[in-house]
Amino acid sequence: MDVLVLCAKTAVACLLIVAGGAKLADPASFASTVRLFIPLRVAWPLLSAIAVGVSLGELAVGMASLTLPAIMALDVLVFAIACVFVAVSAVGYAFHRGRSCRCFGALSQRKFDAAGVLRGAVIAGVAAVALTHVNAAALQLDATARVLLFSAAALLALAAFTAARARGAGSGREVAAQ
Amino acid sequence: MKVPLYLAVAQWTLLFAFGLLLIVVFRQLGRTLRKDDAVAPLGPEVGSKAASLEYSRFADDTVQYLAPGDGQPTLLAFVEPTCPSCEKLVLALGTAEHAGELSGLRVLLLTSSPKSYLKVSDAFRATRLECGRILARTTTQAYGATSTPLLVAIDRDGVVRAAAPAIELAEVRTFGRACLLPAAERGSIPITAAAPKRENDLEAAAPAPGAD
Repeated sequence: MDVLVLCAKTAVACLLIVAGGAKLADPASFASTVRLFIPLRVAWPLLSAIAVGVSLGELAVGMASLTLPAIMALDVLVFAIACVFVAVSAVGYAFHRGRSCRCFGALSQRKFDAAGVLRGAVIAGVAAVALTHVNAAALQLDATARVLLFSAAALLALAAFTAARARGAGSGREVAAQ
Repeated sequence: MKVPLYLAVAQWTLLFAFGLLLIVVFRQLGRTLRKDDAVAPLGPEVGSKAASLEYSRFADDTVQYLAPGDGQPTLLAFVEPTCPSCEKLVLALGTAEHAGELSGLRVLLLTSSPKSYLKVSDAFRATRLECGRILARTTTQAYGATSTPLLVAIDRDGVVRAAAPAIELAEVRTFGRACLLPAAERGSIPITAAAPKRENDLEAAAPAPGAD
């Protein structure tokens, strides 16, 4: 059971890191999605700042969750973020169906649709599993392990950023064909 | 030394995440290498569905969403204030618009330059046509706007009817007509036969697909 919970915990953390890193590769695209959820007329620089803030927030929470597994509050925060994903997917499905959600930047061409709401619910479900109590001994990490995990998380974010950049640069024609 | 369970699980999860990203990068690399075998065309493919796009409108600094196929024919001009040929195109578009030759069309000037750059060009400063800055890099790629000026005629169904560099008023008129062609006559205007002479950066660009 502990393995399952820890798998859920690390999987959601990695998901947040990849999503944050990929979004940072093209914040302008993500800002246009953010605009869909802001009913007021907002200046572009502010939208850009919000988009970068959301991306950095995802990245920070993901890295913290991966590096500091014993802090329960982080698990709750991750679950809350997952619930926000579900809400955003549902609102996007209701009001902006068919528009690109850019949830993973250029890594994914997913749109706001019913499957997106389901995916959000699955992520929230996995995050809920991660809330389950785990034997404290399993979460004991020394400083070296934490540093290594943090480095791996940073590398993962960089890899996601690079992959999103590469895919964004090469997928123009695919976008045209949609 | 006993490894904590969390560390072991995290290692495997990270390994899977890196593996997935590696697959994404290699798939993209494969696509890119395949594309490089052919000469990249200038402009979107005639007959293809035009991509939706977002731009920041200079007039009021608001973000606008353009969805080709919303029932309104659209003439898109990819231009830069620092490009002399683009100035000619903007002047030609303004003349045609003023003469009512583009009535019923949505004419949009798109640039990758910030608003402050418009000051360097008399034509851009004076134009009354809607002008905006492209927000996402993918828009330029989707439209194959590898050099400017590039004019793209999109009909009411959102289908690209013509795409080529253009400068002269006559070419603007031809593109305007292409936007309004009925669906049955799709592709019947040989836009690139009347293709503009290319200047400077356009000389190296390939002709638009469907030129023949």
